[in-house]
Amino acid sequence: MKRDFNRREFFKLAATGSLAAGIPVWLPACAAGSKNQLLGKSLSDGAHNTYFDSFGVDQGMLARTIQRGLSRGGQFCDIFLQHEISHWLALLDGEVNRAFTSVELGAGIRVLKGDSTGFAYCEDLSEPTLLAAAATAATVADGPVKLRPAPLAAISVRDHYPISVPWTQVGAEKKIPIMRTTDAKVRARDQRIVKVIVNLGDIASHILIANSEGLLCEDTQPMAALMIFCVAQQGQRTEMGQRTISARDGIGFFSAANIERAAHEAADRTTKMFDAVNAPIGELPVVLAPAGSGMLLHEAIGHGMEADFNRKQTSTYAGRIGERVAPKHVTIVDQGVMGRQRGSINVDDEGALPQKTLLVENGVLRSYLHDHISARHYGTQSTGSGRRQSFRFPPLPRMRNTFMLNGPHHPDEIIASVKKGLYAESFTNGEVNIGAGDFTFYLKSGRLIENGKLTRVVKDANLIGNGPKVLECMDMVGDDLDMYSGYSICGKFGQSVPVGYGIPTVRVSAVSVGGRQS
Amino acid sequence: MNPSQLDRAKAILAMTLQHGADHARVSTYRARNSEVKWRDGKIDQLRESTSMGAEISLYLDGRFTANSTSDLRPDALHRFLDETLAMTKVLSPDSHRKLPSPKRFENRPRQDLLIHDPKGALAQTAIERRRKARQLEEAARSAPGAERIISVETSCFDNETESAMVTSNGMEGKRQSSRFSLRAQVTIRDENNRKPQGVWSATSRTLANLPPGADVGSTATARAMQALGEKPIPSGRYPVLIENMAASRFLGGLLAALSGSAIQQKRSFLKDKLKKQIAAKTLSIVDDPHILGGLASRAYDDEGMATAKRTIIGQGVLQNLYLNTYYGSKLGLTPTSGASTNLVFATGLETLAELQKTMDKGILITGFTGGNSNEATGDFSIGIRGHWIENGVPRQAIAEMNLAGNHLKIWNRLVATGADPHPYSSWRVPSLFFSDAQFSGSG
Repeated sequence: MKRDFNRREFFKLAATGSLAAGIPVWLPACAAGSKNQLLGKSLSDGAHNTYFDSFGVDQGMLARTIQRGLSRGGQFCDIFLQHEISHWLALLDGEVNRAFTSVELGAGIRVLKGDSTGFAYCEDLSEPTLLAAAATAATVADGPVKLRPAPLAAISVRDHYPISVPWTQVGAEKKIPIMRTTDAKVRARDQRIVKVIVNLGDIASHILIANSEGLLCEDTQPMAALMIFCVAQQGQRTEMGQRTISARDGIGFFSAANIERAAHEAADRTTKMFDAVNAPIGELPVVLAPAGSGMLLHEAIGHGMEADFNRKQTSTYAGRIGERVAPKHVTIVDQGVMGRQRGSINVDDEGALPQKTLLVENGVLRSYLHDHISARHYGTQSTGSGRRQSFRFPPLPRMRNTFMLNGPHHPDEIIASVKKGLYAESFTNGEVNIGAGDFTFYLKSGRLIENGKLTRVVKDANLIGNGPKVLECMDMVGDDLDMYSGYSICGKFGQSVPVGYGIPTVRVSAVSVGGRQS
Repeated sequence: MNPSQLDRAKAILAMTLQHGADHARVSTYRARNSEVKWRDGKIDQLRESTSMGAEISLYLDGRFTANSTSDLRPDALHRFLDETLAMTKVLSPDSHRKLPSPKRFENRPRQDLLIHDPKGALAQTAIERRRKARQLEEAARSAPGAERIISVETSCFDNETESAMVTSNGMEGKRQSSRFSLRAQVTIRDENNRKPQGVWSATSRTLANLPPGADVGSTATARAMQALGEKPIPSGRYPVLIENMAASRFLGGLLAALSGSAIQQKRSFLKDKLKKQIAAKTLSIVDDPHILGGLASRAYDDEGMATAKRTIIGQGVLQNLYLNTYYGSKLGLTPTSGASTNLVFATGLETLAELQKTMDKGILITGFTGGNSNEATGDFSIGIRGHWIENGVPRQAIAEMNLAGNHLKIWNRLVATGADPHPYSSWRVPSLFFSDAQFSGSG
């Protein structure tokens, strides 16, 4: 079903700036311990006065829905309610003349029997509709009632990304000047810039989760994003470039300093393409620049460590916990609570608190990323990795913010160590074949390394490698970890979620680079 | 009794105009989706949903916003319209933003496009879907090589959608469609912890036109088996044959440059190429929205304009761009339609197997991984899987390699198209044979 047809252009543009990862959101309760007594009345405090803020359900309805879900012998039932309002404004040819608003309200109901899932959702939150959806999800089981749901008890969730003014109270008139300033700064940076598109997006998503084990919690998840796309011309040549910035933040995110930096980087990334030569061809040493190259971790190991692929034995990493997969100086972490990073969550979409999960510790494979189903399968605790795109989907084990810890080497020392190779700076998208472990990431721009020095700019080459093999080849790790600040989306089984990633400067002794011949 | 989608769209349009919009387009839909996912002898997921929503494009004092909501409660809709109209008022006016001319709503195809199964969502029951998903697995596990299987995941998916569109300048349309899919994915054991996967799927507008599940299941196993021992071979320039089902991803890099936004924003490598030769004469592509049973067949497009058959590329000459009303106006060109529908290719006489036999040394691509294409320059670099061919015979499964080049050059090296347009996609791409391309692999 095509939805939001007028927004397609946005997403198409956005897609070039995203992890189209081979596999593809959302105020928290109770920082001060008050918000989760809201059930039964409006779910927000009186500060939010639009209709957007009310689910219009009460605790009794939730309990009866869960009971209906278990009516045919299911062993677990949860309900995920979501109210999400998103806005996108677009500046094109110097004017902010398009805007898009989307409102999504609904509930997803899941029933588990063993590791089989029954799932149904509805957009009408009346009790009869909720009960009907629960009855549908219940059909995954077929027998007498086996379980009585525990009484619901609200838990508080600490807010790690508080914002003072919710996005639902920020009008377009506050966003338009930010976009105009961005446009002007990009154009002023370089005369060769001929076209600029600026998109400003915000999301306010309110979620509520209740389950048959008595859990009840809620979160409000903000997101801010600014995307800049430029086209530059020099003689007969045309080049395009982009810079995006995104965080779980409010309007304050778009500070003068953040805007200026992004605008300048957008222009510079575009115009430097005129100096670029074709990327080399074949296997060679690659030095990953800090921050954005973290996409490699996402593809090379992150997806392969999502527990569903391991529970099903289809990941190349299945059954290998405890094995050495990388040199000693390699430690890779996936972390849910991490300030305003795009992949940060106060609570996961199953109501579990997000853990700091060690995927690789000093070169040894340590832990998969678990959701409720896989944690039960492996007899362990959820790592708080159960995430979903929206109420329309059941949760899956997903990455949050994936990064490598600092190693022993100085970045200059790493570059100086390479006689002939590639310095990989910016990426647009990546993908992985889970079973084979082969992954790709698309290099938008980088530099050649010749005799230990950065030389010519190179552009547009796909890098391809095998996850476990590339990890073994990470023979130098810098001490300059940085997190990617751009807009990144990960897709898996048709579900997109925001993620973060980061990495210090890393040398990989051999990666296959898909350059072109001149 | 639920109101019809057309009645619902008309009611929302009336409400929108009452709230003060000068003009508006309203689309509404109601979709039923049912899916059984089956894995290793049991249900993995049962998913059922009935979903609905409205999309409202607002035109006010020369200003424009597009908005969507799934909250159709009357009170909520009133507030939604108040808030979105308030937002519209603060934007800059844009004289190019307007509804299509009413003339463009005329001449819709008269015939039934057969995009709806006569039985719709009732074509099969939940039990039947379960049985089919199970049969897919059984077929996959009965195929040669089954002893290597680690896991089989299958799916049986049904959709039925009713939608309607109305505009304040007189367009009314309604549509009923359905879609049925079968899919199987087989993971097998290879050396060194490699677990190659084979996937096969089929989608059709009517249940009767789906292939037998047994074929889908066994093909998935066969495709996984073909990947055994896959590894990179040395970098080099080789002739290349791209299998029909894989080819649409490659074609996407060419077609993206035909969009009105890419052309008007000067980021298209085809911006000055209209009516010029951009490919070998072997390449002819017609956009045909009227194919009976076509997966993208439609009588009107996303703006409500009546659809028409158009040549996109005729014997290598670029004949038409994808222009909606907005970008057509900005470029001073007559709008066509903003998006592709079914694509029909001039096909050759030989099947993939026959084309492969004519290959002395070269690469057969059966799948792409990652990669991208630069819309401004046409440069592309994409990960591939497939086979090294010698004397017409596959000698080595290959993976971890990239195909790179430029769309303005490679399509001139298209020497043949197969007789095998892929039937389970709206882009019915045949296998494509190029005389020469750059590959990078080991060394």
